[in-house]
Amino acid sequence: MSYKVKSTIMSLVIGILLMAAYGIYAAGKVNSGAASMDDLKFWASSMLLFIGIGVAATIVMHIILSILLSIGKAIRQTVETGKTDDKAIERSLQLDMVEDEMDKLISLKSMRVGYAIGGLGFIAALISLVMGSPSGVMLNIMFGSFFAGSLIESLAQLVYYRRGIKNS
Amino acid sequence: MASQYTISNNIRKLRFFAGEMTQQQLAEKAGASRQTIIAIEAGKYSPSLELAFRIADAFGVGINEVFSREVTAD
Repeated sequence: MSYKVKSTIMSLVIGILLMAAYGIYAAGKVNSGAASMDDLKFWASSMLLFIGIGVAATIVMHIILSILLSIGKAIRQTVETGKTDDKAIERSLQLDMVEDEMDKLISLKSMRVGYAIGGLGFIAALISLVMGSPSGVMLNIMFGSFFAGSLIESLAQLVYYRRGIKNS
Repeated sequence: MASQYTISNNIRKLRFFAGEMTQQQLAEKAGASRQTIIAIEAGKYSPSLELAFRIADAFGVGINEVFSREVTAD
């Protein structure tokens, strides 16, 4: 399993956990009466908070993944050769992280899938507003669809890495 | 309607004749990731012309010795 696949799986897990956490948090606030669906300031601040947590979690995830990979490579090298060469480990890690043309193509194709989901969610959010739903509902549909778009983008990446991709 | 091509390759064979060159070594020589070399070798990814030339250069052969195409439909 390559670094890209591991990183995508971890992003997917973080995304699912964040989405679940946001759902629980939002439902709890609405059910307890602490927030109404018309309170746009509350929803905007909650969404910003979870976006911030998501960014921080992704950065921490990349750092942890790099550390774990380095440890794994050091152990393997020590077992195979009896010594540890820091420069060789660093070089090997850099090679794992190289983004070449296939990675870029997979990234572009899966991003297209993610944007389609985000776009559909945006239309659904507008429809909900036309149907008379509170503006908080519209905002949550948009937020949820962008979240879902990002998750499906990660899933599409995994599928492309597994099944392969054609240049067409 | 344009013909459909199926691209196949001899990378496994060429690696064998290049002293069992590993996929990692080929990836380093061609400037691609190991994952991409694995995908190309398995026929799951058709590389760009530039990468195809770089792979051929890594073996010191012509591109037509690495890749071949078969017309599958008209």
